[in-house]
Amino acid sequence: MVCGEEEMKLGFKIWLLIIVFLLSLLSIFGMPIKFMETGVVVTNIDSNNSLFEQGLRQGQIITTINEEKIKDIEEYTRIISSIYPTQEDVKTTILTKTGEYILFGKEFPELIVAKIPKTNIKLGLDLAGGSRALIKAENKSLTREEINDLVDITSNRLNAFGLTDLKVVPTSDLSGNHFMRIEIAGATPKDLKKLISEQGKFEAKIGNETVFEGGNRDIASVGRDAANARIESCGQAASGYACRFSFLITLSGDAAKKHAEITDKLEINTTSEGSYLSEKLDLILDDKLVDSLLIGEGLKGRVETRISISGLGSGATEEEAYETAKEEMKQLQTILMTGSLPYKLEIVKLDTISPLLGEEFINTILLAALVAILVVAIIIFIRYRNWKSSLALVVTTVSEVVIILGIASMIQWNIDLPGIAGILATLGTGIDDLIIILDESTHGTILNLKQRLKRAFTIIMGAYFTSLVSLLPLMWAGAGLLKGFAITTIIGISVGVFITRPAFSEMIRKFKKE
Amino acid sequence: MNLGKFHDKHYKKLLLIPAILIVLSLIYLGIFYSNHQDIIYKDITLTGGTSITVYEQIDLTSLEETLSNELVDLNIREVYDLTTRQQKAVIFETTTDGDEAKSILESHLGYELILGENSDLEFTGSILSNSFYKQLIIAILIAFLFMAIVVFILFRTAIPSVAVIISAFADIVMTLVFIDIIGMKMSTAGIVAFLMLIGYSVDTDILLTTRMIKRKEGTLNQRIKGAMSPGLTMTLTSLFAFLAALFVVKSFSNILTQIFTILVVGLVFDLLNTWITNVSILKWYVERKK
Repeated sequence: MVCGEEEMKLGFKIWLLIIVFLLSLLSIFGMPIKFMETGVVVTNIDSNNSLFEQGLRQGQIITTINEEKIKDIEEYTRIISSIYPTQEDVKTTILTKTGEYILFGKEFPELIVAKIPKTNIKLGLDLAGGSRALIKAENKSLTREEINDLVDITSNRLNAFGLTDLKVVPTSDLSGNHFMRIEIAGATPKDLKKLISEQGKFEAKIGNETVFEGGNRDIASVGRDAANARIESCGQAASGYACRFSFLITLSGDAAKKHAEITDKLEINTTSEGSYLSEKLDLILDDKLVDSLLIGEGLKGRVETRISISGLGSGATEEEAYETAKEEMKQLQTILMTGSLPYKLEIVKLDTISPLLGEEFINTILLAALVAILVVAIIIFIRYRNWKSSLALVVTTVSEVVIILGIASMIQWNIDLPGIAGILATLGTGIDDLIIILDESTHGTILNLKQRLKRAFTIIMGAYFTSLVSLLPLMWAGAGLLKGFAITTIIGISVGVFITRPAFSEMIRKFKKE
Repeated sequence: MNLGKFHDKHYKKLLLIPAILIVLSLIYLGIFYSNHQDIIYKDITLTGGTSITVYEQIDLTSLEETLSNELVDLNIREVYDLTTRQQKAVIFETTTDGDEAKSILESHLGYELILGENSDLEFTGSILSNSFYKQLIIAILIAFLFMAIVVFILFRTAIPSVAVIISAFADIVMTLVFIDIIGMKMSTAGIVAFLMLIGYSVDTDILLTTRMIKRKEGTLNQRIKGAMSPGLTMTLTSLFAFLAALFVVKSFSNILTQIFTILVVGLVFDLLNTWITNVSILKWYVERKK
């Protein structure tokens, strides 16, 4: 009877492994299975894109364009470039899994798409590519609250700039310093450094008096669509070319009133080019003059809420100047919308990692893991001369990796390079433990098999707790940049001790009974 | 049991080997410290600086000398394709600041470096990397302390626990010396590898101590032999697995190469420290208790 109960209890551990293993596969590959899906996934869409207005969002999957099924990126690019650009307005119908979107125009709005990921495994920036920055205030130690405010302003700013696939989080280290960590997946924006570290203090001044500042106190809205923002003219400048951009903003009532009060005091100068007020409107960003605008006589003393902001972008060629002007405009718009940061910032770490090596990297790591497991299997086979045990060891080890990746996909934990080192560390200790189990079971002593396996587990638990505690400091050290190592190792050794290793011990018992 | 008798007679003398090695290692580290103000060579992740990766084929023969005049502490590494052995990228590491290093490099290469397209840049400020370094050292010390506490709870006797801690300590010290001698510049990843080493080192020590102290069946030598068979298999499998992995990732990933190198070296020293240092101390302890 006891034996019967025993059987049931035994089966349970292997069943648990099988169930957790299958659930992990499900968590990694998704349901329906991800790599069978066709289409392209939207990774970035600007909020002033007309498709955005219709409801297309990041993460949606485009399956059909004009009734042509889209299998992959190549096909998507081929179809789009066969339609656009055109001389006449054309109608394009885009189907996603959930909705239909209709475009009408000469140009295809900017949209960044990517192939559908084959798995739910999220790769860290150092593998998938992107940029990462660690930022602190210059000559000032920020409190947790100040950091939270900074994080809010910065995320607003980056969002307003059109970056969506990003993470801005407060973080601190073992010595209690607070930082802001910014992670942007995918391509690196050209002026990232400017965008995140410049204070962005915008002032519009007439003489010495400030008329309005950046931020929503003075500015009600910033025009960003084609009707309200554009590159006006390009021409040759001192060195190369320069393009002028301009966009309209709407001032708040108070700011408009202030504008009226200040202009009311000014005199009118009449020249051959027209009549203007005696002082100019100076646009100043971070204490540097961006542009100086003449004020038409009609504006004298008038409460005017619509104001045009302008500036220059320059470059070696006309094309380059056009692009710079576009970038500068976008930045200025962003700053006007979000206001300035309360203090000067310092970038203490800035990394850009291109996805170029990513895929190959993963192949190399997989190859390394495969070779390592093979080496282990061979040694175990030579040592114990039992192919069943060697096979069980390989199966257990592989399932351990699958379960770690499954849990990581489930909790949306990004696998980065330290994380991979963590998985390797787990495998190493995991195999050590399996060898202890194997050894305890093969050496016959006065004790029965169950007692011997139990003894194996006292050693394993001892090793488990020592590893666990030694990982804890890494959760915080170095502003969290090594957290990936700690997390994957903790997941790994816990899965090992509570699921895979008991199951392995069970398998060995089954083999012995046969 | 000839070997057993030999061991019974000479195990205390055997202890001299690791003891001398530990003393020599500590002296070496002491001298190293007085020369370099630290016990390791640090790379830019720990000193602060810039690492620029250029994904182009670059002929370095003429470039290296001119660049090293302008970029401080320049260190150049090439990345090769695993199968074709072709140059894929070149990594320039320097303590010069990010923007400055980039423009110097651009002027010598003759083309613009567009981040995320033909190049990548990693910059770490020196203040951050210094505090990084300090914290990782603290992390290792805390980890070591925690490990010691758990070992004490596990065995509840002073000398066996101390023996485990001594072997872990010896593993670290000897590996440090080896890394210094081959001139490897340590990165944050390297320090993490030392954390991993503590784990591997303690694994076999716990196995050994449990078998020798907590078990009663068989003679002491039989129990040592009994522990040795799985213990050696454990260390050797890890050792060969890491060697194989090291061969695959070498010249591809600096981080993983460093982690694997440190682990391989550490495991070799662990063989010595588990099966000579730890065994001898424990044997001494058990014999005295009799």
